[in-house]
Amino acid sequence: MMLSEQSIARMKEVVTKYPSRKSAVLPALTIAYRQIGHLDDDIYNEISEAIEIPAVEVAEAATFYTMFPKQPRGKYLIQVCHNISCALLGADGLITYLEQKLGIVKGETTPDNLFTLISVECLGSCATAPMMQINNDYYENLTRESVDRILKELTEQAQAEDEA
Amino acid sequence: MKEILKALVDVIWKMPQGLLVTFKHMFKKPITLDYPKKKEPMAPRFKGLHYLERYEDGSERCVCCGLCAAACPADAVYMEPDENENGERLAKVYEINMLRCIFCGFCEEACPEEAIFLGREYEFATDSREGFIYSKDQLLVPHPRKESAFKRTIRRIRKIYGVEESR
Amino acid sequence: MADAVENKKNIAEGVPTVTLTIDGRETTVPKGTTVLMAARGLGIHIPTFCWHPKLKPMGSCRMCYVEIEKMPKLQVSCALEAMDGMVVLTDSDLVKRGRRAIIEFILMNHPLDCPTCDKGGECDLQDQTFAHGVDDSRFDFQKYRFTEGTEGSTFDDLRIGPEIVLNRNRCILCYKCVRANKEAFGEYDLGAYERGNIMEIHRAPGRQVDNPFSGNLVEICPVGALTNTDWRYKIRVWLTQTTSSICPFSSSGVNTLLYKDDHQQKIFRTTSRPNDDIDDGWLADVTRYGYQIATSPDRLQTPLIKKDGQQVPATWKEALEIINKRLNEIKDKKGRVCIGGIVSPSLDNATLHSFSKLIRVTLGSNNIDYRTQYRMLPKEPENVYDAMSARSFKISDIDDSDVIVAFGSDLVKEHPNEYLRIRKACNFHSASVYSVNPYRVKSADVARREMIYKVGTEEVFLNGLCLAAIEAGMAEGGDLKEKISPSTAAEAAAICGVDAEHLKELAAAMANGRKVTFIAGELVSRSRERLCISSALANLTRLLGLENKGQVSILPHYANSFGAGKLGLLPQPPEGIRNALTELWGAWPEAEPLTTDGMLINMKKEEVNGCIALGCNPVMLYPDREFARESLEKLDFLLVADLYETETTGLADVVLPLASWAEYDGRYINLEGRVQRANRALKPRFESKPGYEIVEAIAEQIGDKLYESSDQCEQEISRLVESSNVQPLPDKYFDVRPAEEESDEEYPIALFVGDDPHHSGHLTEKANSLFNFCGEAYIEMSSELAKKLDLKEGDSARVESKVGKIIVPVRISTTINNDVVFIPRNFSSTTVTALLMRKKRTDRVKISKVVN
Repeated sequence: MMLSEQSIARMKEVVTKYPSRKSAVLPALTIAYRQIGHLDDDIYNEISEAIEIPAVEVAEAATFYTMFPKQPRGKYLIQVCHNISCALLGADGLITYLEQKLGIVKGETTPDNLFTLISVECLGSCATAPMMQINNDYYENLTRESVDRILKELTEQAQAEDEA
Repeated sequence: MKEILKALVDVIWKMPQGLLVTFKHMFKKPITLDYPKKKEPMAPRFKGLHYLERYEDGSERCVCCGLCAAACPADAVYMEPDENENGERLAKVYEINMLRCIFCGFCEEACPEEAIFLGREYEFATDSREGFIYSKDQLLVPHPRKESAFKRTIRRIRKIYGVEESR
Repeated sequence: MADAVENKKNIAEGVPTVTLTIDGRETTVPKGTTVLMAARGLGIHIPTFCWHPKLKPMGSCRMCYVEIEKMPKLQVSCALEAMDGMVVLTDSDLVKRGRRAIIEFILMNHPLDCPTCDKGGECDLQDQTFAHGVDDSRFDFQKYRFTEGTEGSTFDDLRIGPEIVLNRNRCILCYKCVRANKEAFGEYDLGAYERGNIMEIHRAPGRQVDNPFSGNLVEICPVGALTNTDWRYKIRVWLTQTTSSICPFSSSGVNTLLYKDDHQQKIFRTTSRPNDDIDDGWLADVTRYGYQIATSPDRLQTPLIKKDGQQVPATWKEALEIINKRLNEIKDKKGRVCIGGIVSPSLDNATLHSFSKLIRVTLGSNNIDYRTQYRMLPKEPENVYDAMSARSFKISDIDDSDVIVAFGSDLVKEHPNEYLRIRKACNFHSASVYSVNPYRVKSADVARREMIYKVGTEEVFLNGLCLAAIEAGMAEGGDLKEKISPSTAAEAAAICGVDAEHLKELAAAMANGRKVTFIAGELVSRSRERLCISSALANLTRLLGLENKGQVSILPHYANSFGAGKLGLLPQPPEGIRNALTELWGAWPEAEPLTTDGMLINMKKEEVNGCIALGCNPVMLYPDREFARESLEKLDFLLVADLYETETTGLADVVLPLASWAEYDGRYINLEGRVQRANRALKPRFESKPGYEIVEAIAEQIGDKLYESSDQCEQEISRLVESSNVQPLPDKYFDVRPAEEESDEEYPIALFVGDDPHHSGHLTEKANSLFNFCGEAYIEMSSELAKKLDLKEGDSARVESKVGKIIVPVRISTTINNDVVFIPRNFSSTTVTALLMRKKRTDRVKISKVVN
């Protein structure tokens, strides 16, 4: 079992809010994703047991939405904007720099499972381009130095959490 | 008596005339051929015995789709398909009855895989009816063989049908 | 205008209608009709991919574009409701351009592998491209290929089920398969994943597509994305011939089309022959793949004769001479009555009738029975049961029933076709379905209310329904209350272990329903107490007046069970049939009639010495294996005709090879009483002969010609079919006193034995494809019970009853959730009937784990 009891309890609670069980698929997927960090076939089966709808309906919804990750991701998801404003101010270079720095290619996760690097469309912060989003935070007006600093901070933060 | 004499003169006079025709031919170029030592050059679109092509790696081109059999006006082609371990389709049985075949070349024209061709071979007489039913093994070209032959055939066929060189 | 007037005549009074113009022709259709259907009504063809007549419209392929005046864009006609005054153009330039664009779009990623594709020649996409498309493509990029999970396959084929191969590259995403699977079959093992360019059809996570209707998915696929392994790479469709036939495994008489090649003398596949009155164009897998029993190389090749304890091949002449000699010996020794005849109800009318005539006229015996799988058939005729099992019933009437009760029947296993009808009634007419069973069944998934009664309390439940109806004042009970026990609905509910409120709800639904369909299944017909249960059912029918507003029937199980009853293949047929037969034959045997049970008992006592078994396998299927085997072993002479060597042929003195249903023209009567024809597709394989020929040859050898002229048999049968009308129910209530249910501490678990969803009877295990779906017996139990017994999926379990024990692998059920187990009876490798006792009502077993 990958889903925690709390998650299952929350799913069962969510189901009651909708007229049909099928409507609860997306909230249930969100709950599972928040807990585990990604989705896969086993999780679809567990969700289907929890909210009592066929697993295939869960899987269909999950694969349709691209923002549910289907592979495990690192602790920090780095999403670099590559749309026009950022691109004009060097987003491509920034992505290459991040790739070199992390030793991975766009779309991959570092071996220590800390960072996953992807590039995304506009995040709505063109005034402060180039920018990236790491988990739920924006990092703006990036330079190589600030990227170095941010990555260092995050690595240290992760280490501190591990020790704690 | 007079008639007899007239006939005699006719014979004596006309026989050398006839022999002269024969005699003249001794010095002419013969219109027959010293077959099988010598052979007549073939027309470019001559259609002879069929053969089944292979890919460069030796695998059969024929996928046993059945279009040649469907196109055949003489109902001379019989086939049963099969599946190999890679899920590819190929012929388990592929037979052409050369006694039925009228060598029209529709099979060649219908083939979507460029697998069957009518070659230039016409010397396949045998002494039994069964001998004219050609199996897949007899029809398949040997492998390995000179690579250029196939490309040349393709080029020739495509030229005949007016298809572009490659796509 | 003429069309509009013509159409209006066919529409029932009071239905609101709309009038629209299609291609300049006016038509009137009921409100709610789609433009596509309105056009079809006029004979105007609109091309489609994703539309299916039995599914709700989806509008995903856009092929059915039409132009509608005053609408700015092209509209999909399959999902557009016809409105008053609409002016529709189905063939304008704009429509043509639209269709061409759609074809071009669909072909964008569709591989051009028609030569290797098995759909080639019958492919919707090929046809539509030919009709509407262009011959060139503007796209010069690489087509997208789905390669995940297809390692080792050159063309990216993927096996997603025992019999289905998926090629996602060819899929045009019409979703017909997924929709049919979910909507029509209620199965969730196939889904549509991802989106955009990489959208794909695939099996459900961790599942195989192995549901009992999976073959239909292949049939409705408009392209070659889903292909059957039985048809795959075997032959081209244009080289085959078709023969219309019917299903020999189901009592509904599902219409089929056999694709065969006369040159190879082989059937290649079965597809549906849609008949909206019977099957709606869906086939269960047992129907679809069952044809393989005809083409299997294991078939009996020649007659076999027992010589010195060994069965050796013989010619037909030798075999018939021996049959004649031995039957005469028995006759001389004991008189004619000591010969019995049992017959399979899957055989055609001519065979059954000739067999009846052989036994009754030529041999002068009255021992004849087609019910070889029932336990404890009483000596006296079961009038109520016979009447209740031959009510007039119409499959298509299920569609618009608003209350449907499925009682004592695992519909998916017994009557898959009726299950699909019930689903349809739910989907399209919001019918209320009530599923009443001793354990949870798959077909309960559409039920509004599911009721699980205690094993062996069928008649108490039905009495409870009567009482609940009387107590609530929904019906006038008369003297019914005194005739049945218990005396209150609450008491009955307590005995059955169901909620009294639910009982009341069901009674109210049946009493108030506009049209009620009540289906009873095998748990009634095979029960020892079938007389009691059918009496209770007759009471309920009369009390609620169900016959006036719907239909009630105990459904027969085999292809011609209904016909066997009508042709009088019972020891004591109903009066009307008996009179007709006496009139036809001029005589009726004097001897006392014996049922299958009676015959087996008398065989054991050596009072019946000869037996002819036609197409049946009592050793495997009679609910007491040892008893049947010992009885048959005592016989002086046993003649068995069958397709394969079975346990029963192993005991026989003479074995005759029987032709399968596909090898002769035969007529069958389905459960509605509809006479249908199965045409001959092949020559009889090896030396086999159709049943009626065998019977006639035996009669001739004995010295009695069965029929004077070739059409006499046909005439006699049609006389019989005409003369047997539906028996009216007697105008009184029956006494129904439920028997005390015996329980046994040592053997606590109730065992149910029936058909596997992919099999029917004793022959289908020889069909390769069906064997691939399920090739061995299993014991199906709930996960709770398995936990209690410390068993896991796949473990071997020792199942013991008082009389026998077997070892079978465990399968955890997705449906059963109480303490009962199910074992299929279709596999000769597992002798499940050895666990059964003919005198018991409920079979009880104990289960333990086999420790290696």
